[in-house]
Amino acid sequence: MATSEDEKQEAKKDPRIEGIAASIRVVPNFPKPGIMFQDITTLLLDPKAFKNTVDLFVERYTGKDISVVAGIEARGFIFGPPIALAIGAKFIPLRKPRKLPGEVISEEYVLEYGTDCLEMHVGAVKPGERALVVDDLVATGGTLCAAINLLERAGAEVVECACVIELPELKGRERLNGKPLYILVESR
Amino acid sequence: MPLLSSSSSSSSSPFTLSSSSSSSSFHILRLQFPSRSLLLSPPLPPPRSSSLLRSTPKPPPPPLLRIAAAAMASSDSGVAGAGNADPRIPRIASSIRVIPNFPKPGVMFQDITTLLLDHKAFKDAIDMFVERYRDKGITVVAGIEARGFIFGGPIALAIGAKFVPMRKPNKLPGEVISEEYSLEYGTDRMEMHVGAVEPEDRALIIDDLIATGGTLCAAIRLLERVGADVVECACVIELPELKGREKLGDRPLFVLVEAA
Repeated sequence: MATSEDEKQEAKKDPRIEGIAASIRVVPNFPKPGIMFQDITTLLLDPKAFKNTVDLFVERYTGKDISVVAGIEARGFIFGPPIALAIGAKFIPLRKPRKLPGEVISEEYVLEYGTDCLEMHVGAVKPGERALVVDDLVATGGTLCAAINLLERAGAEVVECACVIELPELKGRERLNGKPLYILVESR
Repeated sequence: MPLLSSSSSSSSSPFTLSSSSSSSSFHILRLQFPSRSLLLSPPLPPPRSSSLLRSTPKPPPPPLLRIAAAAMASSDSGVAGAGNADPRIPRIASSIRVIPNFPKPGVMFQDITTLLLDHKAFKDAIDMFVERYRDKGITVVAGIEARGFIFGGPIALAIGAKFVPMRKPNKLPGEVISEEYSLEYGTDRMEMHVGAVEPEDRALIIDDLIATGGTLCAAIRLLERVGADVVECACVIELPELKGREKLGDRPLFVLVEAA
């Protein structure tokens, strides 16, 4: 999508990006052999990098009439709330099964082997609300897609998905029901 | 669709009253003050090792009716600072939803997701923690998975501290240290990255709620094992009848809201 490409370029030019990218640690062979795991915990140990990360998202989404930030368990819970607080939105946790205590709606999605489920509280989102989905990383896009589906089933309009890191070779961007994706760092 | 805790039914309210039991004013609100000033506090004494070792499992929480009765009975026990309670507390407290019989019969679950839907209440809760900790030289905010992440991240950002996630087993990708702790039935484990926290770091531990204190104790142990100084534990909600505060030994606990 041309717009997303332009915006990807914009993100790359921002001088804060380099420090953010450098703060991410790659852990080989986790959770299993062959996977180079993008570890954002080292970003969180760098207050400046963490702040810059949040600021970049906040600058993008302030004034866009976004009333909902949905964060995907669990690392989406680290980036989502600061964004929600700064832009005046509510924060909605999207969780693994049986964690949310109230009535939920549930969306199944495909894993490499088998399936998993993402849940959202009934009533958290009202029809017509404009929503942002936040996670630390997009790989295949399966989890983000489940999140988009939950929000749309509740009548929200998903404006964009926002992640710190994209693994472009896994083509998650193509699996988001046409929703735009904004990321800060690509990892190949 | 009502998401907030039932405001019309004071008998099911988990919150104690400070004085008269008027049905319209059922809010909490006791702000817990620590037993010592953070800034001038002398170094905390070394942990009493017996208090932080895995203790015998606590009895299950009392059933619903006894909780309500105990709440009423203790309502005149003296609510510290009730007259001076922060004006932001009522909205924070009333934004918390109580879900009966979750995750199992008899448990009144304190659901903070409704607080997160109220931007002002969420912001106020964070502000109250930030105001308390911003000038205390805190270098680490340790948030307990997963609801501790929601409150810990914004606090860390606001006070310029590192954020360290304390996680369930096998989630953290690098080298970890691990601490086992008791559950009502069985045990669980909490992990922290090696190298995330250094000796001399001054740490704050955040979770949404303290019940028995077992999880917080595991976090304290992990941080102290690497030489950090645990300055305080901070939670939105305390369930005082479960006596978690006592389990923390000498480590101070700060909460915004008590729930009976």
